[in-house]
Amino acid sequence: MSETEKSMRSPLRRASYLGSARRGSQDVWLTHVTAAALIVLASGFVLMLLTLLSKDYNGVRAELGHPLPALLTLLFALVAIFHMHLGMRSIILDYVDGHAREWALIANICFAGAVALACAYAVLRIGFV
Amino acid sequence: MASSDPTSPSPAARPLSPHLSIYRFTLTMAMSIAHRITGVGLYVGTLLLAWFLLAASMDAAAFAHFAGFIQSFFGRLILFGFTWALFHHLLGGVRHLIMDAGYGMNEPEREQLAQATLIGGLVLTLVVWAIGYAVR
Repeated sequence: MSETEKSMRSPLRRASYLGSARRGSQDVWLTHVTAAALIVLASGFVLMLLTLLSKDYNGVRAELGHPLPALLTLLFALVAIFHMHLGMRSIILDYVDGHAREWALIANICFAGAVALACAYAVLRIGFV
Repeated sequence: MASSDPTSPSPAARPLSPHLSIYRFTLTMAMSIAHRITGVGLYVGTLLLAWFLLAASMDAAAFAHFAGFIQSFFGRLILFGFTWALFHHLLGGVRHLIMDAGYGMNEPEREQLAQATLIGGLVLTLVVWAIGYAVR
């Protein structure tokens, strides 16, 4: 602790930004809300996929072209991808430090954003093209 | 902590809290890490969902390419694993919501909840695949 005595920095300056960011509970809350929604959405999506198994390309397109299956797929994909982004974010914050953490958080946003955009684009294209 | 931590200019030998290796193995502990691992599996697995939707949005050839993969042995293996991860993680989420509401934390209930999640995930996976093979 001899280093501390020589330093001109105040104790407050050394402690600032080292503790909680005070926004952790928001991630937990959003994870819970999306989890509750996904109980319904994931079950519904699996049931819908079961009805697609006997269909060919045109049958699958016709089914996904209807409003309800399209909305279910869109909702499931977007809520699930937001939920998984939050989950991966907490894993990164638990296990990765320093600059690698920043890159990992950016990569997480890019991956989740790209998959979400791809899914949304595909569902809309099936419905409108 | 990173070595750039400004509060510890010279790293002192401090006592650390005991880590995983020191604890006796318990089911609830395995379920906790399994929840994360299945979550990561589902994370990667969304590529499969995106591929399916994009293939259906393009043309018959792209869809046939996807169907060929998912109907192969390897594709079915991945889809089976994805199905299990989905139901295991879903029931694990329900279990966490129950525990966060303050229930099921005591001795018999928490073990029963963990067992129900483990068995329920496997049963739901097998039921969905049985239905899938019946209706296809």
